[in-house]
Amino acid sequence: MRIVRLIARDELRLMLRNRVALIAFALILLLTGAAVASSWSHQRAIAERRARHQHAAERAFDAQPDRHPHRMVHYGHFLFRPLGPLAAFDPGVDAFTGNSMFLEGHRQNTANFGDVRQSSLLIRFGQLTPAFVLQIVAPLLLVFLGFGSLARETERGTLRLLMLQGASRRQLVAGKLLALGAVALAAAAPAMLGLLLIAGQPGALALPMLTIALGYGLYLGLWVVLILLVSAVVRRSRDALLVLVALWAVTSVLLPRAVPDLAGGAVPLRNRLQTEVAIARDLRRMGDSHDPDDPHFTRFRQALLDRHRVERVEDLPFNYKGLLALEGERLSAALFDLYAAQSFAAQARQNAMVDAAGLLSPAIALRGLSMAAAGTDFAAHRRFLEQAEAYRYALVQRLNRMQAEAVTYADDSATDAGADRRKRIGAAHWQALPDFRFVAPTGATLARAALPGLAMLGLWLVAASALLGWATRRLGAGR
Amino acid sequence: MSLPSSAPILIEDLTVAYGDQPVLDGLTLGVGAGRITALLGGNGAGKSTTLSTLLGFTRARSGRVAVCGIDPGAAPDAARRHIAYLPENVALYAHLSAVENADYLLALSDERHGRAAIVDALRAAGLQERAWDQRLAGFSKGMRQKVAIAVALLRAVPVLLLDEPTSGLDPRATADFNGLLSAVRERGTAVLMVTHDLLSAADVADEIAVLEAGRVAHRVAACGPERFDVRALHARFQVAA
Amino acid sequence: MTLWRHELRLLLRQRPSAFALVLLALLSVAAVATGMAEVARQRAAIAAIPAAQAEDIGAVADYVDRTKDAGSAAYYSFHPTWDAPAPLAFAALGMRDVAPYMLRVRALGLEAQIQDGDIFNPQIALAGRFDFAFVLVFLAPLFVIALFHDLVSGEREAGRQRTLDALPRGGAALWRRRTGLRLVLLWATLGLPFAVAALAEGVAFGVVLLVLGAILAYLLFWIALAALVGRLRWTSVANAATLAAAWLVLVLIVPTLGHVVIDRLVPVGQGAEIALAQREVVNHAWDIPRAATMRRFYAAHPEWSDSPPLGADFHYKWYLAFHQNGDEAVAPRARAYRAALERRDRAGRALGWLLPSVGVQALLTRLARTDLAAQLAYQDRIRAFHARLRSFYYDYVFHDRPFGRADFGRAPRFDDRAEARRQSTSRAIG
Repeated sequence: MRIVRLIARDELRLMLRNRVALIAFALILLLTGAAVASSWSHQRAIAERRARHQHAAERAFDAQPDRHPHRMVHYGHFLFRPLGPLAAFDPGVDAFTGNSMFLEGHRQNTANFGDVRQSSLLIRFGQLTPAFVLQIVAPLLLVFLGFGSLARETERGTLRLLMLQGASRRQLVAGKLLALGAVALAAAAPAMLGLLLIAGQPGALALPMLTIALGYGLYLGLWVVLILLVSAVVRRSRDALLVLVALWAVTSVLLPRAVPDLAGGAVPLRNRLQTEVAIARDLRRMGDSHDPDDPHFTRFRQALLDRHRVERVEDLPFNYKGLLALEGERLSAALFDLYAAQSFAAQARQNAMVDAAGLLSPAIALRGLSMAAAGTDFAAHRRFLEQAEAYRYALVQRLNRMQAEAVTYADDSATDAGADRRKRIGAAHWQALPDFRFVAPTGATLARAALPGLAMLGLWLVAASALLGWATRRLGAGR
Repeated sequence: MSLPSSAPILIEDLTVAYGDQPVLDGLTLGVGAGRITALLGGNGAGKSTTLSTLLGFTRARSGRVAVCGIDPGAAPDAARRHIAYLPENVALYAHLSAVENADYLLALSDERHGRAAIVDALRAAGLQERAWDQRLAGFSKGMRQKVAIAVALLRAVPVLLLDEPTSGLDPRATADFNGLLSAVRERGTAVLMVTHDLLSAADVADEIAVLEAGRVAHRVAACGPERFDVRALHARFQVAA
Repeated sequence: MTLWRHELRLLLRQRPSAFALVLLALLSVAAVATGMAEVARQRAAIAAIPAAQAEDIGAVADYVDRTKDAGSAAYYSFHPTWDAPAPLAFAALGMRDVAPYMLRVRALGLEAQIQDGDIFNPQIALAGRFDFAFVLVFLAPLFVIALFHDLVSGEREAGRQRTLDALPRGGAALWRRRTGLRLVLLWATLGLPFAVAALAEGVAFGVVLLVLGAILAYLLFWIALAALVGRLRWTSVANAATLAAAWLVLVLIVPTLGHVVIDRLVPVGQGAEIALAQREVVNHAWDIPRAATMRRFYAAHPEWSDSPPLGADFHYKWYLAFHQNGDEAVAPRARAYRAALERRDRAGRALGWLLPSVGVQALLTRLARTDLAAQLAYQDRIRAFHARLRSFYYDYVFHDRPFGRADFGRAPRFDDRAEARRQSTSRAIG
């Protein structure tokens, strides 16, 4: 162990003497600091703004005057997707999804106003976040600092000199691992410090944060092992650098972009226009409330009349129009759910293809893990969309029920001068409607979603370590 | 000693300085056609600078340098057309064969020779036939030098500059190389050879010049009354160095 | 000529350089192919619109034909618009994955419709597209680094530099020749797949030349940087590390920093606020005298004021009027929002003058009409089309003309080219 420590200290001393390495290291610390600060303030500004907008939308809803309930169905409601504190570490898809949604009767609107459509073209180059720095920049820094650690010794013949002095191959490699590992820890420290700051935020969950810390630790550890592996196998340090930079470019830049593109092409999504036309078609087949002779609604009316033993809808104990609205909404919402489920399933298939590519690129595995644990991945967005749709349906049906129960059929059908007044019900009704409360996932749910990525990184690390073990035994042999 | 101004290599009262540090200080040296001059001297005596100046890499501060009448400082490309230069460690392209390397170097010298001519030259330079189409990766220094000499032979240049040609060669290869140099001399080439190897120099050179502090301190001819005695020279040289 | 052949043989015999060139060629071909496939998918989606539209509007016609009510026709009829990809779009897909290229609109309030998006997987969009622009902007510099980092230092380290320098056609001319050869090879591996695809897609010859020029200029920038680093006479290892670090900074770090700075310096009011405000104005109409709504509408649009007065019954002209009032109430905000987006975009492009990576991306997406300007131009076309829709339906609704099945066929049809022409003439007039 003493020898290992000595070798590690020597290696670190060498890095400290390398001015370029020191500057690069200082730069990455600054960059992480900037990323933590800007990302954190950005997340807080967004979270605060959305909360403010949400509040304003709720106040506006509650402030609506006496109205016919169906007017409120079309007045609708605005929802703003809340942003969890961990988005300050990894905002994931937040900028790429709409963050506000208009809810109304018999329509399912898209989430609109995503940052990606409100930013300059620079957003497509990537976003400066702690996650970006650790995923993309830190490995390259480690490559620059570590590519020569073993190749240099082989190249200059100092390897044999060290071994003659009694250091074993294992000790040598362990010492170098220790040194580069220390650098990796130091490089990750500011981002982890940022994570700790975030932990102080209300709503921050311990389990996902531990998962993130573990995931990034595994990832940087993996790079340390990979760098030493290449440095041990490749004869010249220049070749080691080129191989490592190529490996980095392929796994961190090329594959994370090419694989999603392939997945997107392999599983096509039905576009909105075709979805809406298909839903309209299905709705016509199920029952057209506009058609007086529509079989579904004829049956529906007859069943109601039979149940209440009356002859005419006017004699029903409640407003038939409200019931019609309830039934119509039920039918259309079922179709919305069906088509949304199909689209979500297709998107999930695309994402599963990308996730599987984590076996080819540890950066892909880490990205999936990081977004999943931070609650900023596709699943998180889907969670919001599904809760929003559930809220929309409940809200609209509550309003439809008000129409059925609080407005009489006679008033609802009247067209005389005072009819408009009689159709309206009290504003207190709207104030009594519950507000949207996003049910955030539990820490365990988020951490569980990150497990596949964690497992893949673990696999990578085991495989790379085994290879390094093999390379260690062959180190300096036969040359 | 005075040389005809037609001598392929002519240096007169040459001064070269790096910054304030004079490296050559009034050097005068000439090599006639068909003659071999060995330039000896300790480290920093100015041997390499002499070659650099002849090749046009280093500009003279004062004095005159001429390669076949051309000032390499003013027209380096024109001067280099008359020079073949072998650095201490002849490094060629490891992933090309001997013939391909020669072909490439000839192209860079603005010359074209068919494979037959190249092979002839390689044979004349003493490279075994089975090595002609082998990649250079496994070649020894001696073999690489033979390729370079073959190129020089084909180019038929009047001036051959050699930097430590025999360092690192085993005695057998040194003898081979010296034999080759004699052949080059036969063709009328002026050869200037920078070396540490007095024995080898004495073996092949027509004249030996010993540099000290940027000028020629001793000059010994290989023929005539001054015909040198290696042992005496060795003693003197050691004192000088 | 033979010298070039010699240099070519020398380069291609080196396995790493040959491998790098083959890899870059494969990547260019793959990027061009995926770009073309994506554009073909988009064209197919646009081509599938008429059939879906015919079915959908047919059902509306069936319903409306019973009452001949023009207001219902206006309310229930969705009209498709689309933004067909430009010929060059395959090379730089730009924003076409996150901004819709098809949108259906009704003759109701436009502000509530025009910001709608299409369905896309955000996790796929997050990664960015693997298109030719990506290969050029992000990957090509790495290949320049691979081929150029040891151009001179490699010869020096191998001990060949002096030999080469001492040859009549060696020296500076040799480095120029080698630089030129590598440049031409890189240019060809990027430019040939691009040019073939561009000509197949029907890109104008001048635009192809312009892009080829941009490729050349971008390569030259990176080669110049490599040459500059090479002049420091460091080792090949140091050159490679320095250049890779420069790549990281110029292609990844500075653009992301620029994004943060531009976001701060050029604030964009939230578009959601426009939608909220428009909704308030529109829904408020139900709570004020209908005559007030009509007065406001006729004041702005006297051409419809000859319409008969409103009765006690619901009439669609009132409904349509307050929708248009709603749009007009937020028009200044919408314009300000748009202007802010353009300011942000301009700031991003301005960075392109300093950063070649951003500059090339901006140029390609501009030429390919896949940038924000193209998105906004599409929105303008939608607005122009929507205005035509309004006057078409208003003519029936405000004059109480019956709207029969045949009238559906008379509705304006979106034609993106005609709409673009109309736009440019109106701009020329205005």
